[in-house]
Amino acid sequence: MTAAALLIEGLSAPFGSAPGLEDLSFEVRSGERFVLVGASGAGKTTLLRAIAGLAPGTARRMEVAGHDVAPLPPERRDVVYLQQTPLLFPHLTVGGNVGFPLRVRKVARAEAAERVQQALSAVHLESFADRMPRTLSGGQRHRVALARAIVARPAVLLLDEPFASLDPSLRQEVREAVIAIQREYGPALVLVTHDLDEAGLLGDQVGVLLGRRLAQVDRPAQLFGKPASLEVARFLGIPNEVPGRVAEPGCFQSALGALRVSRTIPAGPAIALFRPEAVRITERGSMSAAVVELRHRVHQTTAIVDVGGTRLEVALGGTRPPAVRSLVQLTIDPDQIMTFPPP
Amino acid sequence: MSGVLSAGRIAGLLGLGLSALLPMVLLAIWSVGDRWFYPALWPSRLTAESWRTLLSGEGRLWAAGATSMLLAAGTGAIACIVALPVGRALARLDGWRGHLGAAMTFLPVAAPPVALATGLQFSFLSLGLGGRPIGVLLAHAVPAVAYVSLYFTGVFTGFDTRVEEEARSLGASAGQTFRFITLPLLRRPLAEGFALGFLISWAQMPLTLLIGGGAVRTLPIEVFAFVEAGQDRIAATGALVLLVPALVALAAARLAARGTEVAAL
Repeated sequence: MTAAALLIEGLSAPFGSAPGLEDLSFEVRSGERFVLVGASGAGKTTLLRAIAGLAPGTARRMEVAGHDVAPLPPERRDVVYLQQTPLLFPHLTVGGNVGFPLRVRKVARAEAAERVQQALSAVHLESFADRMPRTLSGGQRHRVALARAIVARPAVLLLDEPFASLDPSLRQEVREAVIAIQREYGPALVLVTHDLDEAGLLGDQVGVLLGRRLAQVDRPAQLFGKPASLEVARFLGIPNEVPGRVAEPGCFQSALGALRVSRTIPAGPAIALFRPEAVRITERGSMSAAVVELRHRVHQTTAIVDVGGTRLEVALGGTRPPAVRSLVQLTIDPDQIMTFPPP
Repeated sequence: MSGVLSAGRIAGLLGLGLSALLPMVLLAIWSVGDRWFYPALWPSRLTAESWRTLLSGEGRLWAAGATSMLLAAGTGAIACIVALPVGRALARLDGWRGHLGAAMTFLPVAAPPVALATGLQFSFLSLGLGGRPIGVLLAHAVPAVAYVSLYFTGVFTGFDTRVEEEARSLGASAGQTFRFITLPLLRRPLAEGFALGFLISWAQMPLTLLIGGGAVRTLPIEVFAFVEAGQDRIAATGALVLLVPALVALAAARLAARGTEVAAL
């Protein structure tokens, strides 16, 4: 079995002088994308910086391609950390910037020139080698920084919110560049994002960093479909949260009445969560609700409804939006209701 | 409207320019004037004798100029080498540590020059450095390091060290990062720091007199001696020569600054 490109076991890293990340473990294989999500201040950047050797951190094991890198300085870890804002060296040309990792590795000039050109081609900036960084647009700077990061072909690439400061069109452009580069060079990629959709789109695995620890590491479908805990489910932004109790297996009782539930925790107090898509407006539903308001988003319109004092968000799908203050009938898909013990 | 100077500001700028320029014009006339006595508005005769002596390489002014040049260049270099890490460290110290560090660094600047010179004289004499160029060089470096450290503290307060982290992460060692990234980015502050140290030494009188004990003859010392001896023409020539490297140092610092950026993009 081949060694993981990045293996982290029991990593702890302080937040300045305060206690920080505790006992984090995960591994990423070559060519795999590990996306890290978490609330602001959860320590995502601290984690990347600790792996890169730019911030203090201790671990039982910290290996890159099977080698222990914990005692090594940043330049000898075979890990490249790309900061959120691309920091190009302003006194070097684009070619000089991209060639920098080869220059410090003393790669022969002819070979370096060829690899710089290849890296620039990978980000569609072949003709930009002689330009100065100050003449580039934001998206071009990002792509140059990416080319510079991959030119030395590191085993692990750490990207700290690489798309956060980009407008939607640039975001798409840089995102595609990242995917193309990774396909071509195959480094293990650890990427931080705030955007859960992006995490699902890019990640082979997604890690949720909450309360200074990794609350869940899973494939996107597994994570979004079966959050491991109430805190993860809340972080995922599941809006419908109903307190109640599991009376018996398969039955959740609450202000909404008795709901059939496919998966339940043992009998006792519980909180049920379900997405707007789990609720449907039908002609013969199991409960009546009054429409309170409509919420229009780019990809979806939802209705906020009131069921005997409990408010729920309902996805309207392709159906015609009901009138506000009208009465509707609802059904909830029991397969999509998740129950968790209260905190 | 921005970009357009008001009449008052133009007058102020003109006044400032004239106040700097007029004494130099007077010095220039004095350096070639012969038999110029009050109340005459113009010297009765013009002579280039003092300039000829100076340019021929003979006389005390030439030797003193060379000594001053070596001392000033040495002081500028020492000031930059010492002040660069000091300024960087001070910029990163917080709270009482920062205040204490700053106070200790700037003490030589805050102390009255005579007190500083007297204190240095006692210590340098006991170290056997009195009356020697090396002693004068080290004495000049004391206030120069303080001033240049103050300057570099400001520079490093605005310096984005993430650019160095980026270089390390891309595979550069600490030495390579300094050589390929930090040093080129600091070209402008280094040139200005060198010019500052150079000028502090170039104009230095009390420290040269007390530590050099009259044995180390710099240009300001010779000019002062000529003034005291009533040799106004030679003193004026020396004073003008004193101005040249100062202007060259400032111009060189500005030229070195061209196209450089302190912070990363």
